Amino acid sequence: MSFPPERAGKRLIISLALHSAAIIAFQLALMQLISIVQWHHFAYMIISIAMLGFGASGTLLALARERLLAISHWLVPLLMTVSGLCMMIAFPITRAGVFQFDVYLLFVESSQFPVLAANYLIFFVPFFAGALAIGILFIKHTREIGTYYFSNLLGSGIGGLLVLFVLGKVYPQSVPPLAGLLSVAAGLLCINRKYFSLHLVAGILAIFTAIFIIREPGQVPISQYKGLAQAMNLPEAEIIHRKPDIHGLVEVVSSPALRFAPALSLSFTGDVPVKKNIFVNGDFYGVIPRYSCGQQNHILDYTTQALPWAIKKGSKVLMINAGEGAPLAHAFSHQPSHVDAIIPNAGVVKMMKTVFSEESGGLFLHDRLHIHTKEARNFLASVSGKQYDLILLPQQDAFGGNAGINALQENYTMTLESFSLMWEHLSDDGLIAVSTWIDYPARTSLKLLSTLVQTLSEKGVSKPGQHIAAVRSWGTITYVLKKSPLTRGEIKNIRAFSARLYFDPLLLPDIQDEERQRFNAAEDEDFFSYVDNIMAGEEGFMEEYGFMIHPARDNKPYFSQFLKLKNIPRMVEIFGSGQVPFLELGYLIVLVTLAQSTILALVFIILPLLRLRKSQKSKGGTLMYFGALGIGYMFVEIILIQRFVLYFGHPAYAISAVISTMLVASGLGSLTSGKLPAIPRLPALIGIIIAIMLLAYTFLLTPVLQGTIAGSLPVKIIISLLLIGIPSYFKGMMFPLGIRYISEYDISQTPWAWGINGSFSVISTSLAMVIAVESGFMTVMAIAVSCYLIASSMFVFHRKIFRQNTKTRSIL
Amino acid sequence: MNRKTIFSLLLLLLFICPEVLANSFERERNAMVRSQIRARGIRDQATLEAMRAVPRHLYVPAAQIRFAYQDRPLPIGYGQTISQPYIVAYMTEIIRPRPDHKILEIGTGSGYQAAILAEIADQVYTIEIIGALGKQARRKLEAQYDNVHVKIADGYYGWEEQAPFDAIVVTAAAEYIPPPLVEQLKPGGRMIIPVGSPFQMQHLMLVEKKEDGGITTRSLMPVRFVPFERAD
Repeated sequence: MSFPPERAGKRLIISLALHSAAIIAFQLALMQLISIVQWHHFAYMIISIAMLGFGASGTLLALARERLLAISHWLVPLLMTVSGLCMMIAFPITRAGVFQFDVYLLFVESSQFPVLAANYLIFFVPFFAGALAIGILFIKHTREIGTYYFSNLLGSGIGGLLVLFVLGKVYPQSVPPLAGLLSVAAGLLCINRKYFSLHLVAGILAIFTAIFIIREPGQVPISQYKGLAQAMNLPEAEIIHRKPDIHGLVEVVSSPALRFAPALSLSFTGDVPVKKNIFVNGDFYGVIPRYSCGQQNHILDYTTQALPWAIKKGSKVLMINAGEGAPLAHAFSHQPSHVDAIIPNAGVVKMMKTVFSEESGGLFLHDRLHIHTKEARNFLASVSGKQYDLILLPQQDAFGGNAGINALQENYTMTLESFSLMWEHLSDDGLIAVSTWIDYPARTSLKLLSTLVQTLSEKGVSKPGQHIAAVRSWGTITYVLKKSPLTRGEIKNIRAFSARLYFDPLLLPDIQDEERQRFNAAEDEDFFSYVDNIMAGEEGFMEEYGFMIHPARDNKPYFSQFLKLKNIPRMVEIFGSGQVPFLELGYLIVLVTLAQSTILALVFIILPLLRLRKSQKSKGGTLMYFGALGIGYMFVEIILIQRFVLYFGHPAYAISAVISTMLVASGLGSLTSGKLPAIPRLPALIGIIIAIMLLAYTFLLTPVLQGTIAGSLPVKIIISLLLIGIPSYFKGMMFPLGIRYISEYDISQTPWAWGINGSFSVISTSLAMVIAVESGFMTVMAIAVSCYLIASSMFVFHRKIFRQNTKTRSIL
Repeated sequence: MNRKTIFSLLLLLLFICPEVLANSFERERNAMVRSQIRARGIRDQATLEAMRAVPRHLYVPAAQIRFAYQDRPLPIGYGQTISQPYIVAYMTEIIRPRPDHKILEIGTGSGYQAAILAEIADQVYTIEIIGALGKQARRKLEAQYDNVHVKIADGYYGWEEQAPFDAIVVTAAAEYIPPPLVEQLKPGGRMIIPVGSPFQMQHLMLVEKKEDGGITTRSLMPVRFVPFERAD
């Protein structure tokens, strides 16, 4: 017995939505989990391969379309169920025994390569099976493609929102089983009753598996090279607090061997205090501070971070990304009258106000402290006119460097536009202070300085040397930028501060060469000439320098990206090929991701071509159209996410707002496309409308967002819905219109089109990042505009074929 | 071939193999000293002799033995590594060890650095915080040397009962230099510390305690960074 066709259709559409929600939920949870066990760029690398399951499904469909469609009544539910079951077990398998992979060992143990390949395969299966189910439904229902595509996009949008909500509430390892259950349920919903009992068994099995994993989530076995794993090796180490949060998994570790004193002065003779360490997704985040009212001596007073306090006793202080509070406790030991602290991680703030309130001496409940859980730029825009005596930025880089793992992390706090905004909020003789670990070869320390010098230049300050001071210890450098010129008294204080703590002045208005290395000698004395070149505004030096040390701007907000592609051969020559990856690993991983996904995508595109070689119809048009749509859609998505991070002041909110609005609006567009009249000019026109809109966004989006950034949340939500939703609505029409069009003149090309779209979408994620780093967001947007124009032109070029094939048929 | 012949051949192999392997490792070790250490400017004879003498392959995990003499760090578990041979030689040379010296090492790890120091100095005191690593290293070191003393403890406190030391080698990088270590260094003594992860661009820092008790540091970069030349 089977369901009546109409009812079966509805069930299929609901199944498709559920299954689509499961796939996106699984993808997002997997990214979070891999970020915890390894690090986020690697998550990106694995997911990009796994997502090529979409490309592979298109290939299989192109090669065996008739056979697959003939058995689709039982194959689609089976694929959904298999996909769901694989979602449940994929991650636990990769963390067990022989499959346990460690990205750090990849560069020293060749045996890690087959393990990596096995990981790819394990994650590939659920995506491939899931995408094949979706692909079959699309190909089978080309006439109702608008409705099916709507269901797919709506499901994906809801799935994305759900997982963001759920990740803040449950441990991330519990999410894949939930996603898997959803997919199994989708399979059960659309199964023919003949096979229902068989699937029911699979469903019951899935429920028990999910319950088992969710009830016993256990500790995720993380890489031995992550900070948390290293801390757990220490004597008596134990995790005393653990809580999932939308920003990541927060864990607090206690051990009598955990101390905090970054680059402590060698003149310090006391005891370094033992502190509990906070880790977010397995990475060190900070320590639980201990504060006592009236405390006047803090361990950070013996580091270069104390420099601003040696110059000026700031009464009104702004602390940007104050982390867990150790810098806050330090600030309060200098008795400020008012402190605004920006701490975007609300989970940590809540933890400090509740669980660790007593231990931290009620620091987070201090009556002179005002905590803002948003991004700095967002906060600064919302308090125009407010002035500070001291703006303290967080310490940059990590001890010993971070190998460029933050290279592609957009950081709007460290751009020139951000420093300009901070300058506006300084009182007449206010200071901005920022510290960094000393890195070799020098990158962060020089980029920070070039940012400060350029800020002064843009503010019309002709003698930057009068406004900048810096002090260097054995491990860190602290820069201060003063709005008014440094006074003699302040310069004297800096010298006295340095001498007392065995530090050396690096920059002073009257700096002498011989005082720069009194306590801490540098073997490479060229460092001082680099500093002097930047102070002198030598543009030629920055161009020639081996790393990117130009200031970051909002158009390319990658402060920690230092790699110049053209210099890689020279770097290999100097440092050796084995060392280069550890200098700038982050960006290199994205390049590797791009290369591998491009090669695989080409394979998936070429294979079906062998099958389609006898077709008389234009294959180039299909490739161009669906390839352009894949690239255009993803490029816009990535740019909007980057832009809305600044707008909402929170990456998680930006991602959820952009992805969900885009998917739902595109779904509505897809639904509408089914009702459009059969005029071939129409899709071409829609493509042009999208291109014009995106062109306008290239120039107007930033001013519009900046103009409304200080608005109330409801206003910002409405603006976001309009800005993201309107072009997405039109973009949602392009794919189903294309599918319906090619299905009319060459049905064999439809699966191929599905595969092309999937493959190009995957390539686009890493390609967009590379283009953004090299040329900026505006270029990425300009390419997206070109893509929609290309897609649009395909409809124009194909009109002749279209007319020949549709003399007596209604097409669209 | 009868059973007796096979047995005889196996017996012969049993005697020959270790000898062949030992010779092979010795060749690799000499090549390592020549091409990785001497070629990079290490000239201290005592250091070079020690690097030639200590069988590095005994201090790496079984899975890594074939890479023991390669020019790179190797993982030893627990997120720790045995340093690249050149780094070990460089750290040894820079503290200027002498036969009458008492040296403290913080971070025993595999035990290889302690073995190199034990070849030169009078007494070597080494502390490891990770119990499993410390026990392994103690077993290996105490079987080979009677002048190495291994303690499993937090290196922060140093080894007060044996202080002061002529030199201190800190093999595990830390964000701060523990004040007790500075305290336990003799006036005129030298302390060497790696800064940065062994898997990254590691550089070394020399801390010198002057006769008057003043402290200075010097950053030492095994790989000197040369700015890129102008394209024209």
